[in-house]
Amino acid sequence: MRIRGFFLFRRYSIPTVIVLLLLFALVFMSLRVRQRKGIDFFDALLIELCSPIQKASTLVIKTVQGFFNQYVFLVHLQKENTMLKQRIAELQRESHQGKEMALAHERLQKLLQFRDKISPSVIAAEVIGQDPSSWLMSVTINKGEKDGVRKGMAVISAEGAIGQILKTSPYHSVVLLITDYNSAIDSIVQRTRAKAIVEGKGENRCQLKYLLRAEDVVVGDLVVTSGLSGNFTKGLMIGRISKVDKRGHGIFQYAELVPSVDLTKLEEVLVITESPMPLQEEKGKKVKKAK
Amino acid sequence: MKRFILSLLLGILFITLQTTLLPSLPIQRIRPDILLIFTLYLGLSYPPISGGLLAFFLGYLMDLFSGNPFGLYTFSRPLLFYISQFFKNRFYLESFPSQSFFVFIFALVEGLLILILLRALNPIPLRNLYPSFLETFLLNSFVTGLISPVLFSLFNRGSFLLFNQHKMGIKEKG
Repeated sequence: MRIRGFFLFRRYSIPTVIVLLLLFALVFMSLRVRQRKGIDFFDALLIELCSPIQKASTLVIKTVQGFFNQYVFLVHLQKENTMLKQRIAELQRESHQGKEMALAHERLQKLLQFRDKISPSVIAAEVIGQDPSSWLMSVTINKGEKDGVRKGMAVISAEGAIGQILKTSPYHSVVLLITDYNSAIDSIVQRTRAKAIVEGKGENRCQLKYLLRAEDVVVGDLVVTSGLSGNFTKGLMIGRISKVDKRGHGIFQYAELVPSVDLTKLEEVLVITESPMPLQEEKGKKVKKAK
Repeated sequence: MKRFILSLLLGILFITLQTTLLPSLPIQRIRPDILLIFTLYLGLSYPPISGGLLAFFLGYLMDLFSGNPFGLYTFSRPLLFYISQFFKNRFYLESFPSQSFFVFIFALVEGLLILILLRALNPIPLRNLYPSFLETFLLNSFVTGLISPVLFSLFNRGSFLLFNQHKMGIKEKG
């Protein structure tokens, strides 16, 4: 009987392994959906093992690109030089105006005691890789838990909001970009103060959700963070409205925006480590402690 | 064992290229999935158990470096591996057009599978994702299919040079 059983196993061993492997993949997916602990360790280990290769590859690519940009593609240098001089003159004028505004802003900040809110601590990080799949939008950065990076932290650049930390390992993290379909940020239209949610739409585009039809919004309006989500400080630039459509039915209108940051050419980013308001998890913990 | 480890390292190299080299190319929209081509090549040339494990690991790596919160590729890649194993001796896959078509169809099947899984796993509807399927994914699947004969041929040559196994690979049987 035992021998017969052994032969039966030998006969069906390959289909058994196939079924087990696929079942394991399904169980693994279910674990991820429920966000159970335990798989995080393997994730972190693999990220740490693969990231040095990514880093080296990025370095080689940047070096080669730099060589081409500096020595090979110098055809329009003269034209570019003239354009840049004009741009410098414009920027100098804007800088003077900006200084005046900054002084006024500083006074108001002190007056309203919002100084801490506007200047949170940040960590500079370098982008070492992009999303391997074609329709998900994320980047890998070279800062992780050991540097103080935690899941959910906001990631920005000088031009505006970039995304939020999705996964962390000791020395590296994955950032979910604002253009990913899973991303949602509480925002306001700068000119009219109309509230909306910015959702990712892929391909360097976002859309404004829950924007009331009655609100006056036009193409070219700037959209900034509202500061209500807890991760992003108030007033961070998100993007510029590129399309408005009021033709549909319902109480909301449709609007699309182009992010202020070119997310396809990210190199350096800043991670906001000090949130102006407590994050959701921390809030929960505090409530538990109080009990 | 040597073959398994080399294929694993090759997979890691491909994911590195996919996350660093391909996004830095001038045409941002076109990003062929080298790892999918490699998985399908494994499906046509590898034994079911070691190949299945490799496909599982490569899918896991894809999930790890992507903004995907679930283990979608960890499931889809071994599944595609076994489906390609099923088709291995049933279709003529020696010509360039047939290889391209084979990979293109598999890329589309994976896209649809991921779309279905995302729809099933997400509590909120993902309407934003459907336009990207037509705009981005169809184009990328086509490009992935287009470059697959070249990569298949390279994999075959590499495999021959490393292991001296002339009949290994997709040209084993029609």
